Amino acid sequence: MNNNFSFLPISKRLFITLACLLFLTGCWNSRELDDLGIAVALGIDKTQEGNYSLVVQMINPSEIATEAPSTRPPVSLYQSEGETIFEALRKMTLSAPRKIYMSQLRLLIIGPGLAEEGILPTLDLLYRDPEFRTSFLVTVAKDIEVEALLSVITAYEKIPANKIMDSIIAAESHWAATHGVYIDQIVSDIRSPGKSPILTGILLEGSEEAGNNISNVENVDSPARIHVDHLSVFKGDRMLGWLNEDESKGYNYILGNVKSTLINFPCEEKESGKIGIEILRTNAAIDATKTGSNPSITVTLEAEGNVGEIQCDLDLTKPETLQEIADKAEEDIKTKISAAITAAKEQYQTDIFGFGNTIARKNPTYWKEVEKNWDEHFKETVVKVEVKLDIRRKGTIVQPVQKKG
Amino acid sequence: MKRRKKNRTPKEDVQLDTSLARAISSDLDSNLAFIKETLGNGSDLVTRRMTLNKKAKASGAVIYIDGLVDKNTVQDFILEVVMVEVPSEDLSISPIYEAIKDSTLPIGEIYELKQMDELILRLLSGETIVVLDNETRAIAASTKGWKDRGVQETTSESVIRGPKEAFTETLRTNTAMVRRKIKDPKLRIDAKKVGKMTVTDVSVIYIQDTAEESVVKEVHARLDNIDIDGVLESGYLEEFIEDPPYSPFPKVYYTERPDAIAAGLLEGKVAIITDGTPNVLLVPALFVNFMQSSEDYYQRYDIGTFIRLLRLFAFCIALFMPSLYIAITTFHQEMIPAPLLINLAAQREGVPFPAFVEAVLMEATFEILREAGVRLPKAVGSAVSIVGALVLGESAVQAGLVSPAMVIVVAITAISSFVFPSYNMAIPVRMLRFSLMILAATFGLYGIILGLIALVLHLCSLQSFGVPYMSPLAPLVPKDQKDVLVRFPHWGLLSRPSSTSHQNEKRTSGRKGNGE
Repeated sequence: MNNNFSFLPISKRLFITLACLLFLTGCWNSRELDDLGIAVALGIDKTQEGNYSLVVQMINPSEIATEAPSTRPPVSLYQSEGETIFEALRKMTLSAPRKIYMSQLRLLIIGPGLAEEGILPTLDLLYRDPEFRTSFLVTVAKDIEVEALLSVITAYEKIPANKIMDSIIAAESHWAATHGVYIDQIVSDIRSPGKSPILTGILLEGSEEAGNNISNVENVDSPARIHVDHLSVFKGDRMLGWLNEDESKGYNYILGNVKSTLINFPCEEKESGKIGIEILRTNAAIDATKTGSNPSITVTLEAEGNVGEIQCDLDLTKPETLQEIADKAEEDIKTKISAAITAAKEQYQTDIFGFGNTIARKNPTYWKEVEKNWDEHFKETVVKVEVKLDIRRKGTIVQPVQKKG
Repeated sequence: MKRRKKNRTPKEDVQLDTSLARAISSDLDSNLAFIKETLGNGSDLVTRRMTLNKKAKASGAVIYIDGLVDKNTVQDFILEVVMVEVPSEDLSISPIYEAIKDSTLPIGEIYELKQMDELILRLLSGETIVVLDNETRAIAASTKGWKDRGVQETTSESVIRGPKEAFTETLRTNTAMVRRKIKDPKLRIDAKKVGKMTVTDVSVIYIQDTAEESVVKEVHARLDNIDIDGVLESGYLEEFIEDPPYSPFPKVYYTERPDAIAAGLLEGKVAIITDGTPNVLLVPALFVNFMQSSEDYYQRYDIGTFIRLLRLFAFCIALFMPSLYIAITTFHQEMIPAPLLINLAAQREGVPFPAFVEAVLMEATFEILREAGVRLPKAVGSAVSIVGALVLGESAVQAGLVSPAMVIVVAITAISSFVFPSYNMAIPVRMLRFSLMILAATFGLYGIILGLIALVLHLCSLQSFGVPYMSPLAPLVPKDQKDVLVRFPHWGLLSRPSSTSHQNEKRTSGRKGNGE
């Protein structure tokens, strides 16, 4: 051995090595599974005094994995307040039976008050603490206190946090008017000058009082239900407002987030029958050029569609009919995209689409000029939208069922 | 079938008590008295004194140990000859000793004896001695024959496809079983005797010019160096000849399957057969050999490969499963998917012990049950399985002593440890499992990785008769990979493994002309 060790006898070298192994083991701690208070959802808001108020939804494992359910709720809620989130978390041991274990966190809900004030300072601990993984969704409570939202007992899924996460993921991939955002994405969006973040909203349907009771799930139609809402728009780390459903969908079209959704439109101007097209596999490309002094953005969307539902008398054997349907669907997509762009440009005046990032990649010198007040330039940006929809399949029948003859 | 070595006296490594080292005297009576005295006039000693030829006034005696000789052979080919044919022989042509030895005694294996110690040794090995009056030479005729078990089906290494026969306790039968499989004239069977009191016959078998000469020499040298009073099983030899004695891993392969030994010989290995045990040793033994079963070569190569990979997987499970469970559930809960974590946490609610104690408890219980199952008389065997199912199963869970997940972990570990074709590779796995569990309970995955590194270093430092234990994996021999983790078809196994054989490399020239 040709190192600094070599003057020591082998036994001492071995001893030093072993001692290092024992003490240089980094950050670890042995805890039995039944000592963990597994937190699945964390709600953060600010009190009127300016303190952080934390709500943690902790699961009760034996209630969830049991074959003979008792009347005890599957999750419990614990609350605390503190000047920092860290203090509030530690203070929580005053009321919670075990130390809160955060690695399995599924959901972070930010209270509306805190969202309007700015969320970046809040995210530091969640991003820094090794116990937090980056695999939880960040959401905003819409028009409701975080605590009320987390108190709702859900019917189908025993763990409410799981229910919300699953709802977001299902809605994201089948309805496309929402988009789950993980912590690393929100942090990088806030810190990026070329893109403003968005977050999913969560709201409560029904009465607040009914949700906080096990009887909520004893009804087939629960009186209180958690509902996944559309996207909220942020500028920097402050929430400005909400997009509506069409705008949220348009947003996801532009970003290529749409995995599957559907489009409705009437067959003819005056008829009552409608056509439903299922959209699959969209592929969006954003290109940036500079025309004159203003940047110009081209959004190209290629999508594949299936005929989902036809309520009127059309002849689907003709290619022209399909082409007509495709044209109308393309028009619908364009409308939604334009609505989203208009909302961002005029209502909120911030670039939620990351067009700035595209410009930064395509034309870095120009980006240097506009980076400082990009949102001003964004308002002037011309956005061209091109949509190409291909209708591929018609389902198990060819002609509509009400087709005569 | 016996192979007879004509008039070849094997080198005797073991000498009996030096007080016996005296020449055979010409006085028959004193010789007989000496033999009787040496053996304490044992009840199984038969000395038949007779007059051989009245004309020549020649008398002699036939001596043998009852039970060690084949009585029919002694009766028909020795007593019959010396009492009926010799008297009618014309002794004027040749003296009586030569007449008996060279022309009348119809026995294949015959030795001329001059020393009393050799006479005693041969007598005790089951040979029949003919001593003559006025003659300083005696004749030993091989008449070995005793009740043995016969060739039976293998009990510890069963296969679905492949020969079912197993070695027996009788050395000669065993060498014959090997010889019957390999008819190459270069098959060498060298005889040795080991053990001062047991004087156990040991045969070293190899194929000349295929086995490494250095390994053969080394085997001989190590066997010659053994100094022990008795050898009752090949395990005695194994511990004396294996390379570093302080390692839990077996560095000598043993099997009771003649086909496995023949396959080893064909790969250039050296087999050591010990009289009195069906377990035959094979050296050099490499780590990968213990993961292979002879059936891998009898079933088609695709399933052979699959099974080998499965065994490797089972090896890892048997070694690491309980420690991984401990490490992950007590240190790295973030690694467990949420639904599984909730499930495991729910199972652990109310279990009074930490996961480590729980695991040690269950593993120890399993080891106890396993040992009890091996030692128990067959008649009470079912009692163990009933009690075992109670201790290691639902009842333990219902009593709230262990979590159901731990029962599953222990069960999977236990089953996996039975997958190895070699029982002696399961032994280090069983023992190291506990040390890994301690490491896992103190340092988590970090400890397991430390243990794994130490284990790999240790394995790579081992040698078996000069061959690196982990070869051909470390050092990596690309050419030999065809028969390690995967098994190529037989027509693709072109050469012998180079780790054990450097000469006579070619095994096949591949598959030719099948009317393709």
